[in-house]
Amino acid sequence: MSEAILRTAGLSKRFGSRWAVKDLNLEVNAGDVFGFLGPNGAGKSTTIRMILTLLLPTSGSVRIFGKDAREERRSVLSRVCGIVEKPDFYLYLSAYKNLEVLGSLTRKVKREEILEALEIVGLIARADDKVKTFSHGMKQRLGIAQAILTKPDLVILDEPTSGLDPQGMKEVRELVLKLSKEHGTTIFLSSHLLTEVEAVANRMAVLNHGELIAQGPVSDLLGGDSSYYSILVSPQEGALELLKKNPWVEVVSVGNGIEVRIESRRAAELNKLLVTGGLDVSSFAAKRSLEDYFLKVTEGASEV
Amino acid sequence: MSLFSIEVKKTFRRWRTYIGFVVVAGAVILLEVIIKLNEARMAQNFSHGMSGDFLISGSMLNAWVITAFIMNSLYIHVPFLVALVAGDMVSSEATSGTLRFILIRPPSRSKIFTAKFFAMLFYTALLILFMGTLCIGIGLAFFGGGDLIRFQTSMPHIVILPAHDAAMSTVLAFIAAILSMSVVGSLAFLFSTLVDNSIGPIIGSIAVVIISFVIGSLPFEFLESLRPYLFTTYMGIWQLLLNSPVDWGEVGKYALALLGYDAVFFAIACFVFVRKDIKS
Repeated sequence: MSEAILRTAGLSKRFGSRWAVKDLNLEVNAGDVFGFLGPNGAGKSTTIRMILTLLLPTSGSVRIFGKDAREERRSVLSRVCGIVEKPDFYLYLSAYKNLEVLGSLTRKVKREEILEALEIVGLIARADDKVKTFSHGMKQRLGIAQAILTKPDLVILDEPTSGLDPQGMKEVRELVLKLSKEHGTTIFLSSHLLTEVEAVANRMAVLNHGELIAQGPVSDLLGGDSSYYSILVSPQEGALELLKKNPWVEVVSVGNGIEVRIESRRAAELNKLLVTGGLDVSSFAAKRSLEDYFLKVTEGASEV
Repeated sequence: MSLFSIEVKKTFRRWRTYIGFVVVAGAVILLEVIIKLNEARMAQNFSHGMSGDFLISGSMLNAWVITAFIMNSLYIHVPFLVALVAGDMVSSEATSGTLRFILIRPPSRSKIFTAKFFAMLFYTALLILFMGTLCIGIGLAFFGGGDLIRFQTSMPHIVILPAHDAAMSTVLAFIAAILSMSVVGSLAFLFSTLVDNSIGPIIGSIAVVIISFVIGSLPFEFLESLRPYLFTTYMGIWQLLLNSPVDWGEVGKYALALLGYDAVFFAIACFVFVRKDIKS
């Protein structure tokens, strides 16, 4: 079993009478790409701010590398970095200078390290341009560059694909996987997109209204139960007739396509059934919105 | 790079920082040029009050006299120029969001805060020294040296510093002025830690300076007891150094009071900063 390098115990934060985060117990293991999933306003950023000592918890504790994050702040934060909410920089400084200033707060950074970080995120050609000329996507990438600059053991990324175009999102996902696989960096990634977490994470936790509603391996949380699939098939009438003959398929709705609910492990079987039945299947896609997922996990057990 | 050098670098990469230098340069050059163009008339006006008691030969206007005259702006626009940068040092980072990026790094909040505070003091010192160098440099070029003769409201009403003492006294006065202006900077810096916008601390600190000056100068008996507690009471420390002889006991008392205010404002600001939740 992997060693837990980030652990929160009973972590809570109250603003006035409102609990932003309540009794949160997270466990992130070394080498994990840990997805921290929740809708906007669920308390993800508040949790990250408490982990990174920006907010004082109302109660509970954060331990990173076995040390209390507040009491041994310096030693803990020398091995952690990240982005908290949107990446903000000194607009009047160049990308290079921003990294130099931020990186040197952790340790002495060499010119080659700064250039390497800029190279990784694809901003090497804009190294000497002032950040005020950067688009949101470029700032987002620069945010990742500053997070990985000092080669921390734990990188915390708060909604790193927010505001990026599909190509930018893909690049960030690839970067996360590369950091994890090639550098062994543990990644804590918050997102409100289930597909994003599913694409990169091996473990995940789901937060809603400040409370943990599920935590465990992504395969267990997403793969074990029944799921919704959207099928584009022709002729549709023939398909509906075939589906009715199979009681393990629940037809949920019929429109341009057919939406069904089946056990996830039987998806390939259903696809094969339709094709061997002489039907033209032009699309067979899992339909996993965060809302659907919440409905599913709140119906069932609260923790895996 | 040390935290202090990082903060100094950031401060001097912003155009706002140079407003103070531009304004000071503009004001000093303009004043000295105007005085030069009207030298004869101004020298006559200046010596008018003394002609009954003194035999005056030549012009009384020289670099030291004019510098002492311009130094009065330390009560007027220089506090604003100091507050302009000091009031922005923490709040601007909170507004722009960069504060959370530097506070997730290993250095403690108190160290980051102290570095910012000393960067503010460095800016204040540089601004005053720039002003002093410009005043004296242009003054010497335009008017040359001589005895420093100045008027004051308290006894003796006329102070005469011989030429050989005038230079040293003026330099010491500017060094004392740094201490005087550092209190304005500390106050603006304190306000800067309390809010997440830059305008509030700048206006707030200048408002406090103006109100303190007004309270300190109104001729009401019930306000007398307040004066020892107003930092503006001690901001005229530089004037004490242009007296002859200098009352060093009084200078020490003023300096300690100003350092005390610096320390109190710093301590309160640091206490707030170290404990505050970073929500921006």
